[in-house]
Amino acid sequence: MGLQINHRSVIKALFKDYLILVAIIALVFVTIIFEPKFLSSANLTNIMRQFGPLSMVSLGMTFVIIGGFIDLSVAGIMSLVAVITVSLIEPAGQFPALIAGLCIGAAAGYLNSAVILTCGALTSAEALFITFGMSTVYGALALIFSKGATQHMSWITSGTWVYDAIGQGSVGFLSVSFVVFLLCLFILYIFQQKTYLGRAVFLTGCNKTAAELSGVHVKRSIRLIYTISGIMTAAGSIMLFSRVTTASPVIGKNYETNAILAVVVGGTTLRGGEGSVLRTVLGVMLVTLLSNCMNMLGVSTFMQTVLKGAILIIAIWLDNRKES
Amino acid sequence: MENIDSEAILKMKDVTKTFPGVKALEKVSIEVKRGQVLGLVGENGAGKSTLMKILSGVYTKDSGTVIFDGETIENITPVESLHRGLSIIYQEFNLVNSMTVGENIYLGRFKEMRGMRGTHAKARELLDSIGSRIDTWSLVSELSVSEMQMVEIAKALSFNSKLIIMDEPSSSLTADELKKLFDIVHQLKKRGIAIIYISHKLDEIFDLCDIVTIMRDGHVIDTKPVGELTRNDMIAKMVGRSIENEYPERPRCAVHCPSDTLLEVRSLNTKKLHDISFTLKKGEILGFIGLVGAGRTEIVRAVFGADKVKGHDIRINGKHIKIKNPRDAKAAGVAFVPEDRKLQGLALSFSVKHNISMAALDRLTKYGFLNTSAEKGIAEKHIKALGIKTPHMNTTAVNLSGGNQQKCIVGRWLEINPNILILDEPTRGIDVGAKYEIYLLMKKVVENGGSIILISSELPEVLNMSNRVLTICEGRITGEFDPEEADANSIMEKAIGLSGEGKI
Amino acid sequence: MDTKTASPFGGRIIKLATRQKAFIAIIAMLVVMIFFDTKFYTVYNLLDLLKSASINEIFAFGVTLTIICGGCDLSIGGTMGLAGIVTVMLIDHMPIPFAIVCGLGLGAFIGFINGFFVVHQKTEPFIITLGMGMLLKGISQQLTDAHPISSKNPNFMMIGNGKAGVVPNLVIIMIIVMLIMYYILRYTQFGRNCYAIGGDYDVAVYSGINAVRIKWAAYVICGITAALGGILLSARLNSGSSNYGDTTALMVNCGVVVGGTSFAGGIGGIFQSAIGILVFSVLENCLNMLGIDAYIQQVFKGVVIVSIIWLDCFGRKRKREVV
Repeated sequence: MGLQINHRSVIKALFKDYLILVAIIALVFVTIIFEPKFLSSANLTNIMRQFGPLSMVSLGMTFVIIGGFIDLSVAGIMSLVAVITVSLIEPAGQFPALIAGLCIGAAAGYLNSAVILTCGALTSAEALFITFGMSTVYGALALIFSKGATQHMSWITSGTWVYDAIGQGSVGFLSVSFVVFLLCLFILYIFQQKTYLGRAVFLTGCNKTAAELSGVHVKRSIRLIYTISGIMTAAGSIMLFSRVTTASPVIGKNYETNAILAVVVGGTTLRGGEGSVLRTVLGVMLVTLLSNCMNMLGVSTFMQTVLKGAILIIAIWLDNRKES
Repeated sequence: MENIDSEAILKMKDVTKTFPGVKALEKVSIEVKRGQVLGLVGENGAGKSTLMKILSGVYTKDSGTVIFDGETIENITPVESLHRGLSIIYQEFNLVNSMTVGENIYLGRFKEMRGMRGTHAKARELLDSIGSRIDTWSLVSELSVSEMQMVEIAKALSFNSKLIIMDEPSSSLTADELKKLFDIVHQLKKRGIAIIYISHKLDEIFDLCDIVTIMRDGHVIDTKPVGELTRNDMIAKMVGRSIENEYPERPRCAVHCPSDTLLEVRSLNTKKLHDISFTLKKGEILGFIGLVGAGRTEIVRAVFGADKVKGHDIRINGKHIKIKNPRDAKAAGVAFVPEDRKLQGLALSFSVKHNISMAALDRLTKYGFLNTSAEKGIAEKHIKALGIKTPHMNTTAVNLSGGNQQKCIVGRWLEINPNILILDEPTRGIDVGAKYEIYLLMKKVVENGGSIILISSELPEVLNMSNRVLTICEGRITGEFDPEEADANSIMEKAIGLSGEGKI
Repeated sequence: MDTKTASPFGGRIIKLATRQKAFIAIIAMLVVMIFFDTKFYTVYNLLDLLKSASINEIFAFGVTLTIICGGCDLSIGGTMGLAGIVTVMLIDHMPIPFAIVCGLGLGAFIGFINGFFVVHQKTEPFIITLGMGMLLKGISQQLTDAHPISSKNPNFMMIGNGKAGVVPNLVIIMIIVMLIMYYILRYTQFGRNCYAIGGDYDVAVYSGINAVRIKWAAYVICGITAALGGILLSARLNSGSSNYGDTTALMVNCGVVVGGTSFAGGIGGIFQSAIGILVFSVLENCLNMLGIDAYIQQVFKGVVIVSIIWLDCFGRKRKREVV
């Protein structure tokens, strides 16, 4: 026995469980060979910045999926949070506006869970369309509130340095948004691995009935996962409009599909009961790196979408295969 | 074409089937004649279901011959075996719940039957021929278990089946329905159809079957006409040892005075239950006897807070307690091991460790954080104490045998030191050896002062393990008995009410 | 006895209609519109309403098939865009029927690939078709450089905008497709087997149904209807664009579910889905007639979606809790 590591079995395990990690490494490797500029600090900083919004939303989505549900209201929440937060900066101040934005996200998420719980939606499919409907409502509210107009951060006369920092600032060589992301990742990872409610979420996703009969707080878990998703989505929205300095009432468009894809590609199954935020990070990494690497390699924008789609499909396909 | 014995519809000779590491069937030979009812008995793991699956084509045998209706059969698919006239009625039924009865009977043969009209007309004929009045347009999801069985039989007849295998057909039937089933079996016999009747209920084997084959560990131990065997003979051959005691000595509490009341339930009323009131004494095992559907599970679920019930009165140790959900019940010291361990008890993709710790999670939590090392300790403790056979505490629960899975759930609840342990069909689908271990467990709980409510459809089990027995019929408590003194027949009468004779 | 399907056809239809919340919602809206003085109740408007619903309806018919089989298809947005673009590209080089057949063939091919992943490879349909939709959109963008393209063929536009008498072509095509799909689902072995597969896959396979082939075919058909819808849309607008179909997939699947076809499989039907989609078209039309702001209309739409599904779930919950 001893300390001898069986290298073949390690590689086999790596391929099996962490195919995506292998894919990421391969992708980066190939890119570096053809375009060493990939490793330049400018590019790495760029990559870090890209991380923000999608990764925040995806982290929030992870728990919803682990719990056996799904959240399509992400787009609507992002839009609503963006327009309201930006409009509150002048009258209420930057920090209050920020808090308000996060609270709106939390409230919207909580409302989602309330609707789902009161009607007793058991399956992911029912929750799917309920959150889809909620997204339509939240998005509509965003449009009504903003009268369809996009707010520019530059129009705000009182300071916006908080948001500028979030959008463009750095802490050392790391961008502020990346630091925020790491912080959230840390907190959520601890939540996932070490807390009672974290475990409750997994149990709820695996077998709701058994969990309930064992006295596990199933309803509380469901409320929690949607609320977390709401807060993380709000955070992602704030990161996004801070970076692009405009708050559009349709700022959240397509984020739900991208987030779900990132979570699933990372290896968390839609069935529920298993998964990890770390895996989601890998998923986001792949999605983000795909864009960046292909830019580096000079692939045209549209070809990128094609390749990205193809690679995602292959990733999902292979990942699903290992399960059956 | 071989035509050795024209009377035998099925002849299996020296059939062997091995799975990696397990010899499921070893030189099994069985013969069934037309119009004969063969009882097939054996513990779980004896090979009965492997045998069935080979016959139906789900598995392929490694060696041996199977001759059905005069023809040697090799490598058949389930559909082919159906068309040849061999039907199996599985315990979980092979029906599509969301479709109508008529379409289920002719599933996949829509075109042959000339569409909807033809399908339903023919289905009606078949159901009438066995005396069933089920509407062919009803959805299967709306049928009772007995009705679903009728549909399956009609389905078998639709293929002009010559041999019908019934796997544990009586586990969810009332006495009336069982009688109806027996009648139909007799009818089928008269039509020359052979039946293989697989059941744990030895009484039924004696009542219905002509001959019985006993299997154990993949071998056929004996085949005899039913009249030449006694119940003890049969059990002995099934288990391989002479069972003097299927059950341990009746549990008796040494700690409490026999008249101390622990739980009092008054006026429990729901849509199904009518004015249920009873008491549970400290250190006793209270058995609930009743037909399936009488309301036994509903009563315990109400006590445990698993179902929403209003306006009833529960007192524990004299104090009025409000139990609105399982958490309240847990806090009050009530534990519940549900009927269906796979659907309601286990988190199958979780490890043994996590399954055992599931009910104790709140006790392992401090300031919101789980004490995972204490969790390991709990798992170790119960794996050892209950003798749970698992390679490791991190093995996924789905890989364990039924008996060991059940022990996980029991262990889960023993961890919280309940005063009241509710066991709903604790030994269903578990072999005799594991059953005995669970009985010993129950004994230990009681000897340490805990009380148990035991629900079981196996009358001997309830009668042997309980200190007191309540009969429940159609949502009412109809009688209270001391199982040591009262006779089984009078208990049965109260359990089935006035609706006729029969057995559970 | 049971109340749902106690008697053949006639009785069943009435029972189903009174239970379908989408149907009730439409009736409610129709009733409300009686009290307002608008051009709602004119033949022109009603036909226009049907016309605006027809393309989504066509999508819905194919999607219904996949959902009944127990899967789903979220790639229809991508398929419709690409099929439209390809057809428009080809129309200037060959007779219209050939171009259309090519477009439909493309749809069938896409459906075939979807079927490969979902049925053969047993990949989770929700996510793989979602990814497929993205891929197809990318291809559409690549092909057209993200600019809408149009054809020079006036007859093509006629297909999408012409009328036979008073009735728009699109409505006629929609009705034809609806009747064909209804016939398939109700009167053919293929259709009944779809219900079986969705209701209980294992039982269906055990009974000898070639579940793989049937489910795969369902995806191909769904691809064809998606392509058809895309071609008709391009015909109506006389342009093919990679922007078409961004929200279509979710909206159509949602409409089908609102109509009563469950994602669980084995339940639902063409007429139910038709009504589910119609709810939103009627809603939009009514609100337009009443002069209600577009953003507020969106609120209504979301509320309708949530309400109907909520009521359905709640009804099921009540049934379960009958203790």
